[in-house]
Amino acid sequence: MAAEVNRRDFLNTLGVSVGAALTSAGAALPVVGVAHAQDKPKGNIPDTPFKIGHMTFFTGPAAVLGEPMFKGQQLAAEEINAAGGLLGKRKIELLKADENAGTDANVKELRRLKLSEKIDFFCGITSSGNTPALGPVAEELKLLTIFVDGCTDFLFDKAVPNPHYIFRITNMQSADGVTGAVAAAMTWPKTKKIAHIHPDYSYGRNAFDHFGIVMKKMLPSAENVSEGWPKLGTTDFSSHITKAISSKPDLLAISVWGGDYVAFYKQALRYGMFDKMKVASMIAFGVAPHAIGKDHPEGIIAGVHSNYHFTYPGGDRWPYNKTFVEKYHKRFNEYPNFQAEGGYTATYMLKNAIEKANRLAGGWPDDDAIISMLEGNMMAAPAGYVYIRPDNHQGYKDAVTGFSKNVADYPFPILDPERIITIPIRNITAPPGWPKGEPTSTYTWIDKTWPRAKA
Amino acid sequence: MSTLAVAVESRSPVRRLVWAMPVAAALLVYPWVASQYQAMLLAYGLVMAIAALGFNLLLGYTGLLSFGHSAFFGVGAYTVALMVKYLNVGSMELFLVGAVVGSAVVAGIFGFVCVRYTRIFFGILTLALSQVLWSLAFKFFWVTGGTDGLRVPTPMLVGFSGGKTDKIEFLAHAYYYYVLVIFFACVASMWVIVSSPFGKALQAIRDNETRAEFVGIQVRRYRWVAFLVSGVFTGVAGALWVPLNGLITPENLHWTFSGKIVFMTVLGGFSAFAGPIIGAVLYNYLEAYAVGNTVYWQFVLGTVLVVLVLSLPTGVVGTADRLIARWGGRS
Repeated sequence: MAAEVNRRDFLNTLGVSVGAALTSAGAALPVVGVAHAQDKPKGNIPDTPFKIGHMTFFTGPAAVLGEPMFKGQQLAAEEINAAGGLLGKRKIELLKADENAGTDANVKELRRLKLSEKIDFFCGITSSGNTPALGPVAEELKLLTIFVDGCTDFLFDKAVPNPHYIFRITNMQSADGVTGAVAAAMTWPKTKKIAHIHPDYSYGRNAFDHFGIVMKKMLPSAENVSEGWPKLGTTDFSSHITKAISSKPDLLAISVWGGDYVAFYKQALRYGMFDKMKVASMIAFGVAPHAIGKDHPEGIIAGVHSNYHFTYPGGDRWPYNKTFVEKYHKRFNEYPNFQAEGGYTATYMLKNAIEKANRLAGGWPDDDAIISMLEGNMMAAPAGYVYIRPDNHQGYKDAVTGFSKNVADYPFPILDPERIITIPIRNITAPPGWPKGEPTSTYTWIDKTWPRAKA
Repeated sequence: MSTLAVAVESRSPVRRLVWAMPVAAALLVYPWVASQYQAMLLAYGLVMAIAALGFNLLLGYTGLLSFGHSAFFGVGAYTVALMVKYLNVGSMELFLVGAVVGSAVVAGIFGFVCVRYTRIFFGILTLALSQVLWSLAFKFFWVTGGTDGLRVPTPMLVGFSGGKTDKIEFLAHAYYYYVLVIFFACVASMWVIVSSPFGKALQAIRDNETRAEFVGIQVRRYRWVAFLVSGVFTGVAGALWVPLNGLITPENLHWTFSGKIVFMTVLGGFSAFAGPIIGAVLYNYLEAYAVGNTVYWQFVLGTVLVVLVLSLPTGVVGTADRLIARWGGRS
């Protein structure tokens, strides 16, 4: 049985910091988007284009969240091409595919991209329903892949437990529910009654499970009083809103995302929902920032899929973020979301691995050489340091969330710069060597190893 | 509709064989001349052709428009996936047997309820029942995997394991031929069924239910058997489809998937025997290339459907037949 600790010590052990400075950066890590002096590539490099297939939501309510992923990659590709291409020679050519076509059409399309279009690299994917479908197909096709999102733990826990060709850059899904719950427990420790609204598919259940297990540890006396499971793509939330309100909760936990969330908050405003309870969302501000209006309530925990919000790290504190946001805004006249950062970083992660492999062996490196360089790679990205764990090919970076706030500088709400919450990722995800668990490895790891706060 | 159907079906079997033999030969050599991707894509088309062929026994021959054939396709596919998950079966032949049994049971029960009605009531009932299965697959995620679906590994074909070879190679060759053999068998048996007295009775029911009853056809029973056979064909297609796709999700049980089967059949033409076959193969290419080439693929598919209904109500095959007949008559 895990020991009992008081809540303040608990938060200290998790390393949670609010509005805190970053740990000092000293190491000479590879970085994104910076044209630093680079060794001349070794050996003969072909000048054939490097084809990247990019699949994300270009249509449907998920597009406000997914499409910026393509823009992020596009920006990186344009920068790299302007400098001559990969290893100075191979220009990146991007091929678009719409994820909204449905899982089986996506499987066919991925095969078409590899076998017919002969893409060298596959990238993208938003929905966590799609990576377990496409991951094994990419492995069968021997197609080098970095998924940007589609972050279900299930992919590397079970669907592809020993990945070779596939990687994923943004944080694992369980980090989302955990981050939301830690932030809520820390901010509103007197919470007794919790209502839940989650999309009725694997992502929503994952958020529900991990929010629940953290609450069990941090606020053991809190109980769930209501559950609502709207179908993904729902635009009418009134029944779920009235049900949650009638259960008189102190806190609403919600992981509805994309266009669905925009519809939700506008309807919830009409019911005065945000005045009746505190709200902790896993992914409210995951959408492209301009998709949320100034009418959005302030002071709710507005999650960014535990990954990235363009205002953090702000100012001059993390130059790569400053320049990324400036470049992105200049190029697309909008601000990036976590998917845009993911698409951008994935492209530079690949570039970096290709350059490392070239320095070792010369010439254009084969996929296996690139894969060995991606494994264990760490680089500084706009969001902070991102590390690819070699055993499961999953990207890890410190989790971020915060509180919605309207400021004069932007025509939409942002995360309150004074109250950003960050948590070191190693403290909230199952470490290497931890056995695969049900429903996820992180769930069993939290359940078995975290202490319980005194009620 | 019925006059056209008569015109097509009155052609001699010899003339049909003249058409069928070169097509069969082309299908046989296809994987050797086309790329792996093209062979795989055609395999998808052939599988859907079996589903549409089964569907058309109800629409084209019995005059019943089902909006619930996703149910049988999904049952066929989920039977395979559950056999893998719970019984550790790996043989494709056992999968097919399982899918036939599974889809027969479901089609038998659904048919019992549905054939009491015709027209819109029949359509709505089939849709509603298929949605029940969809919601079960969606909600019982600890059994069905929910929206993540269930994976199906490379199966063994007639006792030989395909697991060691390259998966793409396997799908483009060995599995293509496996699908082709079943496809031929399904086409032949459907041909026998629609040409048999039973098939003629179904067409009589389609054309005039009251008269059919007066000549002694037990209308409801015949409809039920047609429903059952139709469901089993579609179930077989579901079983063949899973290893190709590698995964089954509730999407394939949703009524929009039934809509795709309807679309395929309308595209090819439901009044000709070959209509659903051609329609399914064409639709498969249409969808793959629309999705591959534009993010406005929904717009492309929608436009095709509208144009089809407005200007080619007899589908591609019906229109081609009419053109050939006109051209033949002139010369």
